Amino acid sequence: MSIIYILIPIAVLLVIIAIWVFFWAVKSEQFNNLDKQAHSILFEDDKEQHDKSNDH
Amino acid sequence: MTKPCFHCLEPIPEGFNVTIDFDNAKQSLCCLGCHAVAEAIIDQGMSDYYKFRTESAGKVQELVPEQLVMFKSYDDADIQSEFMDDQGDIAELLLSIEGISCAACAWLIEKQLLKLKGIVRVDVNTSTYRAMIKWQKDVVKLSEIIESLARIGYRAYPFQIDEEENQKKQTAKSYVRRLGVAGLMTMQVMMFAFAMYFGMFSGMDEDFEQYFRWISFVLATPVILYSALPFLVSAIRGLKAKQLNMDLPVSLAIFGAYGASSWATIFNTGEVYFESICMFTFLLLLGKYLEFRARLKASESTANLQKLLPLTARLIDGANETIIAAKKLVLGDVIRVKPGETIPADGLIESGSTSVDEAMMTGEHEAVFKQVNDNVFAGTINHDGVISVKINKTGRNTLLNQIIHLQNEALSKRPRIAEITDKVAQWFVATLLIFASITAIGWYQIDPEHAFWITIAVLVATCPCALSLAIPTALTCAVANLTQKGVLIKQAHVLETLPKVTDIAFDKTGTLTEGQVTIIDWQRLNSDFDDKTILLIAKSLETYSEHPIAKAFTSLSSTTTPLDDVQVITGIGIKAIYGDKRVAIGKPNWNTNTCGQFSIYLYINDTAVAGFNLDDKHRAHIDELVLAANNSSIDTHLLTGDPSQSGIKLASNYLIGKVKIGCSPADKQSYVERLSNDNRIVAMVGDGVNDSPVFNSAHVSLAMETGADISKNTADVVLLNSDLKGIIHLFTIATLTKNIIRQNLTLSLLYNGSILPLAAMGLVAPWMAVIGMSASSLIVIANSLRLLRA
Repeated sequence: MSIIYILIPIAVLLVIIAIWVFFWAVKSEQFNNLDKQAHSILFEDDKEQHDKSNDH
Repeated sequence: MTKPCFHCLEPIPEGFNVTIDFDNAKQSLCCLGCHAVAEAIIDQGMSDYYKFRTESAGKVQELVPEQLVMFKSYDDADIQSEFMDDQGDIAELLLSIEGISCAACAWLIEKQLLKLKGIVRVDVNTSTYRAMIKWQKDVVKLSEIIESLARIGYRAYPFQIDEEENQKKQTAKSYVRRLGVAGLMTMQVMMFAFAMYFGMFSGMDEDFEQYFRWISFVLATPVILYSALPFLVSAIRGLKAKQLNMDLPVSLAIFGAYGASSWATIFNTGEVYFESICMFTFLLLLGKYLEFRARLKASESTANLQKLLPLTARLIDGANETIIAAKKLVLGDVIRVKPGETIPADGLIESGSTSVDEAMMTGEHEAVFKQVNDNVFAGTINHDGVISVKINKTGRNTLLNQIIHLQNEALSKRPRIAEITDKVAQWFVATLLIFASITAIGWYQIDPEHAFWITIAVLVATCPCALSLAIPTALTCAVANLTQKGVLIKQAHVLETLPKVTDIAFDKTGTLTEGQVTIIDWQRLNSDFDDKTILLIAKSLETYSEHPIAKAFTSLSSTTTPLDDVQVITGIGIKAIYGDKRVAIGKPNWNTNTCGQFSIYLYINDTAVAGFNLDDKHRAHIDELVLAANNSSIDTHLLTGDPSQSGIKLASNYLIGKVKIGCSPADKQSYVERLSNDNRIVAMVGDGVNDSPVFNSAHVSLAMETGADISKNTADVVLLNSDLKGIIHLFTIATLTKNIIRQNLTLSLLYNGSILPLAAMGLVAPWMAVIGMSASSLIVIANSLRLLRA
C-alpha cells in the first residue's frame, strides 16, 4: 500500500496541470460562446477537397 | 403559393424570375441582393451554410457605390481612432454585425473573412452579434473586411465595448476560473473523504488517515483561499460599511470550518470538514455564476448599440465635398446630409428642405418638416431631402448629449429598496454570533477542553448553506424562465422590487403603440378605377419615398408598377406619370379640393380617387395588461411626449388611470419623482431616447426591444418581441419568486433553528451535520426549480 505515497502526489500534480490548462482556456476565451462550438462539427473545413474525394 | 426565396425565405414578388443552381436544382430568389449573396456563398464552396442553418437569413440589400465610399472612410486614421486603439502591426477590432441569426452564420462569416489575406483571427459570437477580428494592418484594410462581409449579406459596424461591460466580462472570467478550481479540487477532496468514511467503519491505519487528512488539506486550501475569497471580501466590505450581509455567515462557516479542520490536521486532533466546505463553496459559486451569466447575456445583447451619432460627416468646402470624422466638425462648418443619413451635429438648415425623424428625441414617429433656418438635431434621421446644415452646436452641447447628461444625473439619485437578503442576513448573523458566544462561554464553564470544538460544531451545523442558497437559486431559476419567454433581466434587484410596485407608467408611441403608422381604413372616392389599380398606384408611388408613412403602403399590393418622371415633394407628397395619366399621392387639397376626412389622398389626373386614414396601431394585450394592473391594485399612468389628443383617447379607451400629454424628458422625470416622493414604487415602460432619463428616476424600468439602443441600455428589463404580455408574465414570476424565496427562507431557518440547540448541547456528530446540511440544501434547490416550469 505504500505505493500511494507516490501515486497520490502524482495525481495531485496532474490536477494542477489540468487547472493550468483550464486557466489557459479561459484566458483565450474558449468559454465565451459555447453554442457555436456545438455546431462546428457539422461544417466541413475544406469543401473542395471533400468534393474531390467524393468524386473518386 | 409560390416557393419562398432560397436565401431569405421571404415571398418572391410576382414576375421576378432569378434562379441559382444548388443541389442539382434551380432555386428561386426574391431579389438581386439575395441572388448576389447566394451566388457568392455557393461559388466559394460555403454551401454547407444552407444545409445547416436553423434560422433564415435577412433580406439583403444590394450594395450601392455610395456605401462602398462610406466603407472606405473607415480606413481614415482620424475616424479609426474613434473605435480602435493604435496597436502596432496587428489591429484588433470588434464589429457589431447585423443579420447573424444562427451558428451557420458564424461559420460563414469566419470562412469568408479567413479567405482574405492578412486576417489573423476571427471569432464570431452568435449570442451578442459581434465578431472580434485581428488583422495585419499593412496587408488588408478595414474597408475590405467590411466590404467582404457585405458581399455575403452582413452589415458590419465598428463597435467599442464600454467600460462597464468590459468589467463584467472580466468578472465572468474570474467566476469561471474560481469555479474550475473549486470543481476540480472538490472532486479530489471528495475522493479522499470517501476513503476516510469507509475507514471509519472498517478501521484504517493511523498513518494513512493522517496522510489523507494532509492531502485533503493541501487540496482544499486553493478552494478556500482562492475560490471562496470573494465571499470573504464582500463580507469585510459589508462590515466596513457597518452592515451584516449574507456573505458574512457564509464566510464565517467556510473560514471557520477550514481553520478548525486545519488545526485538527496539524495537531492531529478533532474532525476535518474539508469535503463539506469545498462542496459548499462550489455550489454557492455555481449558483452565483449562473445568475450573473444570465444578466451578463441580457446586458450584452442590448448593449450592441451602434453609436447614436454617425462617425463621419460630409463637409462642404466651396464646391467640394469631403468625408471627415464627425468629431472634427467645428462651429460654423457647413455639412451636407443625404436622405437616410443621421445628422452628426446640431445646426441650422442653410439650404434645402426635408422631413426629419426626431423619434429618438421626442418618441414621436411622425416626421417633422424642416426648411431653411430650422434647427436640426444631432442623432435625428434625415428622411427625404438633401440639406446643407450650418453647425451651431457640437459635442457636449448638442441636445442629444444634454439628454444623456440628464440620464446620468438621475442614475446617481436613483431610489433603491433595501434588499430582503440583507435584512434576513442581519438578523440571522446577529442571532448566530450571540448563540455561538453563549455556547462558547457556557461550555467553558462546564468543560473547557471541549468548548472550542462544540463552538465550531455550532458554527458548522448552523452553516447557512440552505439559507444562502435560498435566494440565489430562486433568482437564477426565475431569470432563466423569463429569458426563455423573451424578458431579459439586466439588474439583480428587479425581481425583488416588482412585487412592491404601486404605480406603472407607460410611454405612448412605440410602447403602447407599435410606433409606425399603418393604414387603418381607406375608401374609393371615384368609380372610374377599380380597387386593384388604386392600390397598385398608391404603393408604387410610395416606394419612392423614405418617409415613414410610405412603409404603411408596402403591404397594400403584392406588386409595383414602373412610373415615369417621379418627383418627391418634401412635406406634401409624391407625383409621377403612369402611362398617360398624372398620378400623385399626398396631403388633402393638393392641386384640387378634396372632400372627406382622410389624411392621405390618391389623385389621378388631379382628381381625388381614394382616401386613406393612417394611424399608429395599438399593440395587442393593452387591455389585459391594464386589467392585470387593476387586479393587483397598481395605478396606471400614461406619459407621452405627443401633444395631440390621441394620448387621452388611448387612455380612456383602455381605462388607463392618469394621462399627461406633451411631456418633455424632464417632465416625465419630475412626474415620476413626485410619485416616488409620495412613497410610491414606480415602474416605467418606455422605448425612446426621451425615456432614458425617466428610466433612472423610476424604481424599475422596462424597455421595448424595438426602442432606441440607449433606452435599452439604461433599462433594467428589456422585452424582446416587444410583447406587452411579457410584462404580465414578469409580474407573475416576480410574485411567485417572492413566495418561493419566503418558503426557502422558512425551510432553511427551520432546519438551522432546530439543529442549533442540539449542536449547542454537543449532541450532533459531524456526519449528522453534513447530512442535514445537504438535505436542507437539496430541498431548497428543488423548491426553486419549480420556478422554471411556471
